Amino acid sequence: MNGWLLAAAAGLVGGVAPALWGAATGPVRRRVGAQNTATLLVCLVLMLLAQGYARPGAYLDAALLLALLGPAGTLIYARLFAAELAGDPPRGRITGALSVLAAAAVVTALCAVTPPGRATVKTVLIGALLVAGNLVSTAALRHPPGGPDRAGEAERVRHG
Amino acid sequence: MADTVIVVALLLVAAAATAAVLVRDPARQALVLSMLGLCLAVVFLVLQAPDVALSQLAVGSALTPLLLLLSVRKVRHGVRRAPRERAGARGETGKTGGTGRPGGTGDDPGGAP
Repeated sequence: MNGWLLAAAAGLVGGVAPALWGAATGPVRRRVGAQNTATLLVCLVLMLLAQGYARPGAYLDAALLLALLGPAGTLIYARLFAAELAGDPPRGRITGALSVLAAAAVVTALCAVTPPGRATVKTVLIGALLVAGNLVSTAALRHPPGGPDRAGEAERVRHG
Repeated sequence: MADTVIVVALLLVAAAATAAVLVRDPARQALVLSMLGLCLAVVFLVLQAPDVALSQLAVGSALTPLLLLLSVRKVRHGVRRAPRERAGARGETGKTGGTGRPGGTGDDPGGAP
Protein backbone atom coordinates (compact mmCIF):
# COMPACT_ATOMS: atom_id res chain seq x y z
CA MET A 1 0.00 0.00 0.00
CA ASN A 2 2.80 2.40 0.83
CA GLY A 3 4.34 1.91 -2.57
CA TRP A 4 1.38 3.61 -4.25
CA LEU A 5 1.65 6.65 -2.00
CA LEU A 6 5.37 6.76 -2.66
CA ALA A 7 4.70 6.65 -6.40
CA ALA A 8 2.16 9.47 -5.99
CA ALA A 9 4.70 11.58 -4.09
CA ALA A 10 7.31 10.85 -6.76
CA GLY A 11 4.84 11.91 -9.42
CA LEU A 12 4.19 15.15 -7.55
CA VAL A 13 7.89 15.92 -7.13
CA GLY A 14 9.17 14.70 -10.49
CA GLY A 15 6.17 15.57 -12.66
CA VAL A 16 3.95 18.30 -11.26
CA ALA A 17 6.73 20.47 -9.83
CA PRO A 18 8.61 20.80 -13.18
CA ALA A 19 5.27 21.41 -14.89
CA LEU A 20 4.59 24.20 -12.40
CA TRP A 21 7.96 25.73 -13.23
CA GLY A 22 7.21 25.42 -16.95
CA ALA A 23 3.79 27.05 -16.51
CA ALA A 24 5.22 29.99 -14.56
CA THR A 25 8.16 30.85 -16.85
CA GLY A 26 9.12 30.89 -20.51
CA PRO A 27 7.17 31.50 -23.73
CA VAL A 28 3.43 31.00 -23.99
CA ARG A 29 3.67 27.76 -25.96
CA ARG A 30 5.66 26.17 -23.13
CA ARG A 31 3.33 27.50 -20.45
CA VAL A 32 0.19 26.14 -22.07
CA GLY A 33 1.83 22.79 -22.80
CA ALA A 34 3.06 22.53 -19.22
CA GLN A 35 -0.42 23.22 -17.89
CA ASN A 36 -1.83 20.52 -20.18
CA THR A 37 0.78 18.02 -19.01
CA ALA A 38 0.17 18.94 -15.37
CA THR A 39 -3.54 18.14 -15.77
CA LEU A 40 -2.68 14.63 -16.97
CA LEU A 41 -0.04 14.11 -14.27
CA VAL A 42 -2.34 15.24 -11.45
CA CYS A 43 -4.99 12.86 -12.78
CA LEU A 44 -2.46 10.00 -12.59
CA VAL A 45 -1.48 11.08 -9.07
CA LEU A 46 -5.14 11.03 -8.03
CA MET A 47 -5.48 7.47 -9.35
CA LEU A 48 -2.36 6.39 -7.46
CA LEU A 49 -3.67 8.04 -4.28
CA ALA A 50 -7.00 6.23 -4.67
CA GLN A 51 -5.13 2.94 -4.78
CA GLY A 52 -2.79 3.99 -1.97
CA TYR A 53 -5.63 4.82 0.41
CA ALA A 54 -7.53 1.71 -0.76
CA ARG A 55 -10.68 3.76 -1.33
CA PRO A 56 -11.32 3.65 -5.06
CA GLY A 57 -14.91 4.97 -4.90
CA ALA A 58 -14.94 8.71 -4.42
CA TYR A 59 -11.23 9.12 -5.13
CA LEU A 60 -11.50 7.75 -8.66
CA ASP A 61 -14.46 10.05 -9.28
CA ALA A 62 -12.16 13.04 -8.83
CA ALA A 63 -9.70 11.58 -11.35
CA LEU A 64 -12.55 10.91 -13.79
CA LEU A 65 -13.79 14.49 -13.48
CA LEU A 66 -10.30 15.85 -14.05
CA ALA A 67 -9.81 13.61 -17.11
CA LEU A 68 -13.05 15.04 -18.50
CA LEU A 69 -12.54 18.70 -17.62
CA GLY A 70 -8.78 19.01 -18.09
CA PRO A 71 -8.83 19.00 -21.91
CA ALA A 72 -11.79 21.41 -21.79
CA GLY A 73 -9.66 23.83 -19.78
CA THR A 74 -6.79 23.44 -22.25
CA LEU A 75 -9.17 24.21 -25.12
CA ILE A 76 -10.21 27.38 -23.29
CA TYR A 77 -6.55 28.37 -22.96
CA ALA A 78 -5.95 27.61 -26.65
CA ARG A 79 -8.74 30.09 -27.38
CA LEU A 80 -7.40 32.66 -24.94
CA PHE A 81 -3.84 32.50 -26.32
CA ALA A 82 -4.89 31.94 -29.97
CA ALA A 83 -2.92 34.94 -31.26
CA GLU A 84 0.32 34.03 -29.48
CA LEU A 85 0.03 30.34 -30.37
CA ALA A 86 -0.64 31.08 -34.06
CA GLY A 87 2.55 33.13 -34.21
CA ASP A 88 4.65 30.68 -32.18
CA PRO A 89 3.11 27.19 -32.12
CA PRO A 90 4.40 24.47 -29.80
CA ARG A 91 7.11 22.18 -31.15
CA GLY A 92 8.40 18.79 -30.07
CA ARG A 93 6.33 15.78 -29.19
CA ILE A 94 8.48 14.23 -26.48
CA THR A 95 6.43 15.53 -23.54
CA GLY A 96 3.16 14.32 -25.03
CA ALA A 97 4.58 10.89 -25.82
CA LEU A 98 6.10 10.58 -22.34
CA SER A 99 2.87 11.56 -20.61
CA VAL A 100 0.87 9.08 -22.68
CA LEU A 101 3.42 6.38 -21.78
CA ALA A 102 3.12 7.29 -18.09
CA ALA A 103 -0.68 7.12 -18.29
CA ALA A 104 -0.49 3.70 -19.96
CA ALA A 105 1.95 2.44 -17.30
CA VAL A 106 -0.17 3.66 -14.37
CA VAL A 107 -3.43 2.30 -15.82
CA THR A 108 -1.80 -1.07 -16.56
CA ALA A 109 -0.37 -1.33 -13.05
CA LEU A 110 -3.69 -0.39 -11.42
CA CYS A 111 -5.61 -2.85 -13.58
CA ALA A 112 -3.15 -5.60 -12.71
CA VAL A 113 -3.62 -5.01 -8.97
CA THR A 114 -7.34 -4.32 -8.59
CA PRO A 115 -9.78 -7.21 -8.84
CA PRO A 116 -12.09 -6.95 -11.84
CA GLY A 117 -15.16 -4.83 -11.18
CA ARG A 118 -16.39 -1.28 -11.32
CA ALA A 119 -13.02 0.15 -10.31
CA THR A 120 -11.31 -1.56 -13.24
CA VAL A 121 -13.85 -0.22 -15.71
CA LYS A 122 -13.45 3.26 -14.25
CA THR A 123 -9.65 3.04 -14.42
CA VAL A 124 -9.67 1.95 -18.06
CA LEU A 125 -12.19 4.69 -18.87
CA ILE A 126 -10.00 7.31 -17.21
CA GLY A 127 -6.97 6.07 -19.15
CA ALA A 128 -8.81 6.23 -22.46
CA LEU A 129 -10.13 9.71 -21.64
CA LEU A 130 -6.63 10.87 -20.72
CA VAL A 131 -5.07 9.68 -23.98
CA ALA A 132 -7.93 11.01 -26.12
CA GLY A 133 -7.99 14.31 -24.27
CA ASN A 134 -4.25 14.69 -24.64
CA LEU A 135 -4.49 14.13 -28.39
CA VAL A 136 -7.35 16.63 -28.74
CA SER A 137 -5.73 19.34 -26.66
CA THR A 138 -2.33 18.93 -28.34
CA ALA A 139 -3.96 19.29 -31.74
CA ALA A 140 -5.85 22.36 -30.51
CA LEU A 141 -2.62 23.95 -29.26
CA ARG A 142 -0.83 23.31 -32.55
CA HIS A 143 -3.70 24.63 -34.65
CA PRO A 144 -5.44 27.13 -32.38
CA PRO A 145 -9.12 27.83 -33.06
CA GLY A 146 -10.02 30.87 -35.13
CA GLY A 147 -10.00 31.86 -38.78
CA PRO A 148 -7.49 33.72 -40.96
CA ASP A 149 -8.20 36.94 -39.10
CA ARG A 150 -6.44 35.29 -36.15
CA ALA A 151 -3.21 35.16 -38.17
CA GLY A 152 -3.48 38.89 -38.81
CA GLU A 153 -3.91 39.44 -35.11
CA ALA A 154 -0.81 37.33 -34.47
CA GLU A 155 1.16 39.50 -36.86
CA ARG A 156 -0.03 42.55 -35.02
CA VAL A 157 0.97 41.05 -31.67
CA ARG A 158 4.42 40.16 -32.98
CA HIS A 159 5.08 43.59 -34.45
CA GLY A 160 3.39 45.82 -31.92
CA MET B 1 4.43 7.76 4.35
CA ALA B 2 1.09 9.58 4.31
CA ASP B 3 2.76 12.57 5.93
CA THR B 4 5.31 12.69 3.11
CA VAL B 5 2.56 13.07 0.52
CA ILE B 6 0.87 15.77 2.61
CA VAL B 7 4.11 17.73 3.00
CA VAL B 8 4.90 17.48 -0.73
CA ALA B 9 1.42 18.62 -1.70
CA LEU B 10 1.51 21.55 0.73
CA LEU B 11 4.92 22.64 -0.60
CA LEU B 12 3.53 22.51 -4.14
CA VAL B 13 0.57 24.67 -3.11
CA ALA B 14 2.93 27.22 -1.56
CA ALA B 15 5.10 27.28 -4.69
CA ALA B 16 2.11 27.58 -7.02
CA ALA B 17 0.56 30.39 -4.98
CA THR B 18 3.84 32.30 -4.90
CA ALA B 19 4.27 31.85 -8.66
CA ALA B 20 0.69 33.04 -9.25
CA VAL B 21 1.51 36.24 -7.36
CA LEU B 22 4.85 36.79 -9.10
CA VAL B 23 3.57 36.37 -12.67
CA ARG B 24 2.25 39.77 -13.72
CA ASP B 25 0.30 39.33 -16.99
CA PRO B 26 -3.33 38.38 -16.16
CA ALA B 27 -3.67 35.89 -19.02
CA ARG B 28 -0.49 34.05 -18.02
CA GLN B 29 -1.55 34.32 -14.40
CA ALA B 30 -4.65 32.31 -15.27
CA LEU B 31 -2.44 29.36 -16.22
CA VAL B 32 -0.60 29.41 -12.90
CA LEU B 33 -3.92 29.87 -11.11
CA SER B 34 -5.26 26.68 -12.62
CA MET B 35 -2.06 24.91 -11.54
CA LEU B 36 -2.77 26.19 -8.03
CA GLY B 37 -6.27 24.72 -8.30
CA LEU B 38 -4.83 21.32 -9.25
CA CYS B 39 -2.38 21.37 -6.32
CA LEU B 40 -5.18 22.37 -3.94
CA ALA B 41 -7.28 19.46 -5.19
CA VAL B 42 -4.39 17.10 -4.44
CA VAL B 43 -4.10 18.57 -0.93
CA PHE B 44 -7.82 18.10 -0.27
CA LEU B 45 -7.66 14.52 -1.50
CA VAL B 46 -4.60 13.77 0.61
CA LEU B 47 -6.39 15.21 3.65
CA GLN B 48 -9.20 12.67 3.02
CA ALA B 49 -11.76 15.13 1.66
CA PRO B 50 -12.61 13.80 -1.82
CA ASP B 51 -15.85 15.82 -2.11
CA VAL B 52 -14.04 19.10 -1.60
CA ALA B 53 -11.38 18.00 -4.11
CA LEU B 54 -14.13 17.17 -6.59
CA SER B 55 -15.70 20.62 -6.40
CA GLN B 56 -12.28 22.30 -6.42
CA LEU B 57 -11.41 20.45 -9.64
CA ALA B 58 -14.72 21.37 -11.26
CA VAL B 59 -14.33 25.05 -10.42
CA GLY B 60 -10.58 25.35 -10.92
CA SER B 61 -10.14 23.49 -14.19
CA ALA B 62 -13.13 24.72 -16.19
CA LEU B 63 -14.99 27.63 -14.62
CA THR B 64 -12.06 29.84 -13.59
CA PRO B 65 -10.36 29.74 -17.04
CA LEU B 66 -13.68 30.45 -18.74
CA LEU B 67 -14.36 33.43 -16.48
CA LEU B 68 -10.84 34.79 -17.04
CA LEU B 69 -11.05 34.21 -20.81
CA LEU B 70 -14.24 36.25 -21.02
CA SER B 71 -12.99 39.08 -18.82
CA VAL B 72 -9.54 39.32 -20.45
CA ARG B 73 -11.17 39.42 -23.87
CA LYS B 74 -13.54 42.17 -22.77
CA VAL B 75 -10.70 44.23 -21.32
CA ARG B 76 -8.56 43.81 -24.47
CA HIS B 77 -11.42 44.88 -26.73
CA GLY B 78 -12.02 47.92 -24.55
CA VAL B 79 -8.35 48.94 -24.76
CA ARG B 80 -8.27 48.42 -28.53
CA ARG B 81 -11.39 50.46 -29.10
CA ALA B 82 -10.38 53.36 -26.87
CA PRO B 83 -7.85 55.16 -29.18
CA ARG B 84 -10.22 55.05 -32.14
CA GLU B 85 -13.01 56.58 -30.12
CA ARG B 86 -10.67 59.30 -28.95
CA ALA B 87 -9.60 60.02 -32.54
CA GLY B 88 -13.22 60.14 -33.64
CA ALA B 89 -14.06 62.62 -30.91
CA ARG B 90 -11.12 64.80 -31.89
CA GLY B 91 -12.20 64.93 -35.53
CA GLU B 92 -10.10 64.33 -38.63
CA THR B 93 -6.85 65.56 -37.06
CA GLY B 94 -6.34 62.30 -35.23
CA LYS B 95 -6.37 60.27 -38.45
CA THR B 96 -4.34 62.53 -40.73
CA GLY B 97 -1.87 63.66 -38.13
CA GLY B 98 -0.52 60.17 -37.52
CA THR B 99 0.01 60.18 -33.80
CA GLY B 100 2.73 57.60 -34.18
CA ARG B 101 0.91 54.96 -32.20
CA PRO B 102 1.14 51.74 -34.20
CA GLY B 103 -1.65 50.05 -32.27
CA GLY B 104 -4.24 52.67 -33.13
CA THR B 105 -3.40 53.13 -36.81
CA GLY B 106 -2.67 49.52 -37.62
CA ASP B 107 -5.93 48.45 -36.09
CA ASP B 108 -8.21 50.37 -38.47
CA PRO B 109 -8.05 48.04 -41.52
CA GLY B 110 -8.42 45.03 -39.29
CA GLY B 111 -12.13 45.55 -39.10
CA ALA B 112 -14.17 46.51 -36.09
CA PRO B 113 -16.79 44.26 -34.56
